[in-house]
Amino acid sequence: MVMPDSPHNYPGTLTNKPVGVTFHAAAHYVALRLLEGYVPNEKIKLVHYGSPKARFEAMLNGEVDACVVMEPWITLGEKIGCKSLAEGHYLGAENASDEMDEDTFAAINRAVFKAVDMFNADKRKYLHYLIDNNPGFAEIAGRYGGITVDDFSLPRFRYTKDTHYSEETIEDTFNWMMRWGLLDGEACSTDLVDSRVASPALADD
Amino acid sequence: MKKVRSEISGIVFSIPWLIAKDHGLFEAEGIDMEFIKAQGNRSVTPTENPNDVNPILNHVPFEDNQVSIYRA
Repeated sequence: MVMPDSPHNYPGTLTNKPVGVTFHAAAHYVALRLLEGYVPNEKIKLVHYGSPKARFEAMLNGEVDACVVMEPWITLGEKIGCKSLAEGHYLGAENASDEMDEDTFAAINRAVFKAVDMFNADKRKYLHYLIDNNPGFAEIAGRYGGITVDDFSLPRFRYTKDTHYSEETIEDTFNWMMRWGLLDGEACSTDLVDSRVASPALADD
Repeated sequence: MKKVRSEISGIVFSIPWLIAKDHGLFEAEGIDMEFIKAQGNRSVTPTENPNDVNPILNHVPFEDNQVSIYRA
């Protein structure tokens, strides 16, 4: 996303221009995936700013040419006239510790799956969470008159029921991260992901 | 009821979880769900080097075993 008066209108002009992200998180990886289609790898200039609030403010005050943000920051930016140069989606993940037993995880997922159905049946009804539970966002949005649930684009919200990653997805993602130097060569994809719980056919291997 | 503590970071990651808690869906499954906020909004020195940044980021409650699950 760039400011309303930014000279950038597509990702290809962000050559060697600072783009605000959070390293080792979705904003980092999605930025690389979106920019590598337009800008030579060595000319992609990502800068770690941490929180989405910090990234958005870095764009507002001109420290970076563009920032990578998610909702509700996208909607706030669009409301004040900022331009989206590219938009990407990715697979989210539930990360549980060794203390989480299988029955508890299954019970949690049953509850969350019902909530996913409720959300998808009436998305706008539940988008207030993005505004009400977000003090850092409210501070910035308040400067621009705030946003309401009616401002959101509903197709952006894609909550689905939990599923495991396919072996092809794991391998492709692993290879992509290796190409960008985001993993060292000591691990292999099968070390990082264990699909035995999600794939009963492999459970006895 | 089984006590579970879950980290909450970006709200957009957790809307179904917030719905589940507010509508008693966790309780119906025998889960007493408590949300613990990730340690966000800390001061950050901008850097272009990913190696300068701890990949744990703000997921400190998970790393410190205060919670048993988070999403990103």
